[in-house]
Amino acid sequence: MRSARKPAGRLGVLATQAAFVAGILALWYLATTRWGVSRILLPSPVAVWNALVNVVTSGEFLPDLRVTLFEVAVAFAISATCGVTIGYLVSRSGFRTRVYEPLFAAMYAVPLILFLPLYVLWFGLGPASKIALGATISFFPVALNTITGFSHVDRTLVTAARSMGASGFALFRFVLLPAAFPVILAGMRLGFTVALLSIIGTEVLASLAGLGHHIVELSENMEPARMFAYVAFVVAIAAVLNFAVSLLEAWGRRW
Amino acid sequence: MVTATMPHRFAKNPFIVRLGVIALVLVIWEVAGRWLVDPMFFAPASRVGWDLASVFKTDGVPGAMGITLLELVAAFALAVTAGLSIGLAVGLHTFSRRAFMPIILFLYGMPQVTILPIFVLCFGIGPACKIAFGFTHGVFPIIVTVAAGVQGIKPILLVGARAMGASAWQELRYVVFPHLVPSLFTGMRLGMTGVLLGVLLAELYVSTAGIGFFTTQFTQNFQPSLLLGLIGTLAAMAIVLNAVMRRLEARFARWRD
Amino acid sequence: MVRVTEPAIRIRGVSHRFGEEGEARNVRALLDTSLDVARGELLCLIGPSGCGKSTLLNVIGGLLAPTAGKVEVLGKGVAGPMPREVAFVFQEHALFPWNTVRENVDLGMRFQGVAAAERAGRAQRALAAVGLEDFADHFPGQLSGGMRQRAALARALSLQTDILLMDEPFGALDEQTRMILGEDLSVLLAATRKTIVFVTHSLGEAVFLADRVAVFSARPGTIKQVITVDEPHPRKPDFVMSEKFTKLRNQLYGLLHDEIRKTMSAESAGPKTPGALS
Repeated sequence: MRSARKPAGRLGVLATQAAFVAGILALWYLATTRWGVSRILLPSPVAVWNALVNVVTSGEFLPDLRVTLFEVAVAFAISATCGVTIGYLVSRSGFRTRVYEPLFAAMYAVPLILFLPLYVLWFGLGPASKIALGATISFFPVALNTITGFSHVDRTLVTAARSMGASGFALFRFVLLPAAFPVILAGMRLGFTVALLSIIGTEVLASLAGLGHHIVELSENMEPARMFAYVAFVVAIAAVLNFAVSLLEAWGRRW
Repeated sequence: MVTATMPHRFAKNPFIVRLGVIALVLVIWEVAGRWLVDPMFFAPASRVGWDLASVFKTDGVPGAMGITLLELVAAFALAVTAGLSIGLAVGLHTFSRRAFMPIILFLYGMPQVTILPIFVLCFGIGPACKIAFGFTHGVFPIIVTVAAGVQGIKPILLVGARAMGASAWQELRYVVFPHLVPSLFTGMRLGMTGVLLGVLLAELYVSTAGIGFFTTQFTQNFQPSLLLGLIGTLAAMAIVLNAVMRRLEARFARWRD
Repeated sequence: MVRVTEPAIRIRGVSHRFGEEGEARNVRALLDTSLDVARGELLCLIGPSGCGKSTLLNVIGGLLAPTAGKVEVLGKGVAGPMPREVAFVFQEHALFPWNTVRENVDLGMRFQGVAAAERAGRAQRALAAVGLEDFADHFPGQLSGGMRQRAALARALSLQTDILLMDEPFGALDEQTRMILGEDLSVLLAATRKTIVFVTHSLGEAVFLADRVAVFSARPGTIKQVITVDEPHPRKPDFVMSEKFTKLRNQLYGLLHDEIRKTMSAESAGPKTPGALS
């Protein structure tokens, strides 16, 4: 039951949101300039803005951005290929699905970032440990969605195709894959988001390079304004990447 | 007609096969640990199990574990209370929902780990910052699920209640709240996952106290057996907590299906 | 030239059971069914729910191997799907939603093994035959139920098989659309002389479309009686109002009524898994 959004109502919503954001900014400004909140804890919004402009224009974020994006790309590439392949192989048999799907679901529920110290022990503090952990964590949503996608292909479609003479590869290419594709794509979007989050997280926790690491470095060097600027920058990058990925997913669903 | 023989029937039961898969993984773990991988980096399952006792005898580990558990409980309780209140406040009125939901969703999707250093600066390296970080991770899924649950109440049910003379309070108690219960438990399950993530992230970050201290120590001293034991115990704790939440959710969401 | 016209489909003693003896799922769907379908005739299978008519259709088409008995199609024993001889039209959800109507028709021929050069022409003719040329580049999700079933029929027609097996193709449609599509099918039948086996629940539809109607008993299903409808194709819409139609429809009702009652009481009395739909 959807009622038409009256333009007045919509305006009111936007006005409230704008007022809310403005209010937060005002509080922030007052807190740092008038109310004596320590500048080390909370830099003034002006300082943060200046630092942000400086960071973006100087391009000093580039090396760290490159490291982070590289790690995310490799980790996701690994988890996507393994996840789809293994997911498909499991889905081929109802029995295998009943054996492995609950196992994967249980492992997905554990905060796998817990294993970071182990991966650091094995792979050191460099990109390898982050890529490995990122790939491990993002494997599960991809695999689980792939299993679901292939298991829930409408049986009638498969029967109809068989009746027309399709089998083996033709059946996979023209029926199973297109039918499962939207669900698999959703899983890959989830996997990408998870990979991005876990890599930034591992960079914060134990790393020598990358955006997350740089944020920690700035915090330890007592450069709060710059640090806040970087946080905003990372949030923006994450939002842009997630948005791009969700557009891809929407394209995959276009029918 | 062939009747199924005993071993045949075992092979057909997914649960048993799953146990078999886990057993196989344990065997590979054992073999790899004993003969294949450098003992500086890996330990066989048997040694990890054996050393589990010494992990707990290590000075400070049981204390750290206990504190972590308390942090989880505290963060979760706070997240549920705040999440329920805010979720109700936002969800009950269409206007507040439309105004504030986008803001909440934006915060929910933000990589909070980037502000972890700020939390530590603010709250210090003790339990406070871990509780706070767990709270911020757990509160958003609860808000979102509760708001969605409230919004999903079929208007005809509220109209019906009003037609029978229910007051606003009675509407809340007899229509809104019962409807809310499944969403609340789903939210709590997601919230628990979030709280686990937040608390553990914070613990791992702080390498001078708590769990993080010991993981750093075991890593730097190349003590894989102890490290595996510690992580394994934490993972088991996470699995148990998640399983409990799932059970609760299934129990209280029965009428949904 | 004198040639004994062989039946297009020969069904001999077909029985089918789902599940194994002793299992909860064990169900005897079909019991010792025998029937001949002549070339160029439209035979209807009608009966109460669960009487095995769809099962028999799947057995004829080679999608299901019966637990007993055999079927011959155009003189050859049936051992699996026969895409060159038999085309199916299902009740719904058989069009690939990610392909346009034209792509769906093309894909059917591709599965069958038709050369690429021929496919476009055959597709166009099949779409014209069902009146969908203007909607060929739409997705099934954008079409009404009736148009989707027309598209499914076009796909089956493009395969140029001698035999068409239709499993309640109009079952999900409203009454008025059914009537129109039924009339169109009758016209098509007169033009192409295909052999059609048509499963339906609707008495009126059976009498209007069929040359013969095979009436099934309740589960385990077997053919109770076969009624002949002696009226040439294409059948005019006013056939429905004639005395002959009413008499035949009443005859069908008489045969079916008890079987339907039996099915309903078996469903309410017997053990049921919770949430199961009959």
